[in-house]
Amino acid sequence: MKTRIKIGEKFYNVEIAEIKENLLKISVEGENYFFSQDEFQKLSLLKNKNFLDLQTNSKDNKPILNGSKEKEIKSPIAGIISNIYVAEGDIIKPGQTLLTLTAMKMENEIVAENAGEIKKIQTKKTQFVQKNDTLIILK
Amino acid sequence: MEIKFYSKLNSTNQKAKELAKTGAKAWTIIVAETQKIGRGQQKKFWFSPKGGLYFSIILKPQKISDLEKITLNSAKCVANILKKKFRLNPEIKWPNDVLINNKKIAGILVENVIGKDIKVCICGIGLNTNIKKFPKELKKTATSIMIETKRQINNEQILNTILKELQKKLLNYEFKKRN
Repeated sequence: MKTRIKIGEKFYNVEIAEIKENLLKISVEGENYFFSQDEFQKLSLLKNKNFLDLQTNSKDNKPILNGSKEKEIKSPIAGIISNIYVAEGDIIKPGQTLLTLTAMKMENEIVAENAGEIKKIQTKKTQFVQKNDTLIILK
Repeated sequence: MEIKFYSKLNSTNQKAKELAKTGAKAWTIIVAETQKIGRGQQKKFWFSPKGGLYFSIILKPQKISDLEKITLNSAKCVANILKKKFRLNPEIKWPNDVLINNKKIAGILVENVIGKDIKVCICGIGLNTNIKKFPKELKKTATSIMIETKRQINNEQILNTILKELQKKLLNYEFKKRN
């Protein structure tokens, strides 16, 4: 989520992203800060620089990619897989719900665009996925 | 805008998704007097007895980058109305809960159906209007407008106010983006 806030007389461009459950990245004028969130919603600033590797993809306005082979179903946003409704070997129909993904307190049903047979499921329940990560491969 | 009223539903979001998948237009509103399995985020149960206001809006499919703004704008809209119409002091527990004195009075749940693009976008709002009493397990964490103001609320009026404000916020935002 991008927004602009005013502190005193100065404006700041702020971007907030949930990297994974209870881990937030807040960018202020391009500078990244990482926060953990406890069960009481209290935020604590993290100093570990390893979190710099966990960058969300900022190409939010580009169309959702379906892989160069058109047989890969990719995650449209970063989030956590909350449920998987299909299994390897299943024949899927267009519009069929494949899995659900929770991101930024929203629930997202990922549905099949085309019919096909599932070759491999590349993710699992509770896994954090980045935008454009391959979730399912079709034959 | 078309408003569909139901006396009882499993969940207004579930009904809205069903209708959206079969072609219901944007700004079709689903309202239920009670919900059997009303939900907040992560499938948390939303207590939905008769008296409260539970509704879902079928929105025009959004861009991915705009999805998060729906939740926050809806929460802000509900909070502003609680402040202006009822002189309450709401706080938004970012991004989708509205609290009064640290007790939840409203919750927002946005649900999307996504294939190659966003196919369905639903915004569900649960607002505790005329709930006199909460069960033991919710007494310390939930409140209602009736408890806070000691008044009976006209649900239809407040629904119309929220929808008017939301339309302004969300449609105006879309208009600004296009231009």
